[in-house]
Amino acid sequence: MEAQKVDMFIMTNAKYFESYQIAGIRDRLIALDDSKWAMISTVQLKDPTISLIVSILAGHFGIDRFIIGDTGLGIGKLLTCGGLGIWTIVDFFLIMGATREKNMQTIQQLLY
Amino acid sequence: MSRNKLYAILAAACAAGYIWLIMTYYRTFSLALEPGVCLFKRVTGVPCPSCGTTRSVLSILKGDILEGILWNPFGIVIIFVLFIFPVWIISDVLGRKDTLFNVYNQTELFLKRKWIAIPAILLVLVNWIWNIVKGL
Repeated sequence: MEAQKVDMFIMTNAKYFESYQIAGIRDRLIALDDSKWAMISTVQLKDPTISLIVSILAGHFGIDRFIIGDTGLGIGKLLTCGGLGIWTIVDFFLIMGATREKNMQTIQQLLY
Repeated sequence: MSRNKLYAILAAACAAGYIWLIMTYYRTFSLALEPGVCLFKRVTGVPCPSCGTTRSVLSILKGDILEGILWNPFGIVIIFVLFIFPVWIISDVLGRKDTLFNVYNQTELFLKRKWIAIPAILLVLVNWIWNIVKGL
């Protein structure tokens, strides 16, 4: 794919991924066929900031885990009063990284 | 999420659950736990959907299943998880299998379907309203 397109994609979407993943994503995108551009450019990624806000407001019920797709852990939090309140607080710090990991999984399905 | 991470989280959660049950049992033989550990209830004064689960689990462990359901139906799920998962995790780890991991992933996909998710959310909301009415 053209380097210009790829750089545009990276600039717009860098905040959705861990910084160490970006170089790898860029290399894969450049090697990728042009026909996949439509799918790559319209892929739905979750915003880490939004999940942090949700985590602070409704993390007690596991809603943050539900919206990033970790249904099982969401149920775990919901059924245990947010892990007796401890897991809720731990997730304030983990949820942004977890969201970026989920985004990486989403885009990996298209890249490989 | 990888298999080992999931098993570590589940094992830690089960261990924490047992420790919590033992602590609760020996600290208060009566089941009055006011104001309780629940952050939401402490902040807002309103019980959360899973308030009463400890009391429910303790009632069921004493053999009074009906009282457990009346405290909070989630207790049954918790009892099931606390009894089944540790055995399942140990057998998977010792046998180098990943049956629990596969079941977990399939259950996640199953629960994400609309016709399962919406009734489930409604059930949780109804349970929450019931909790508030009961004044847990």
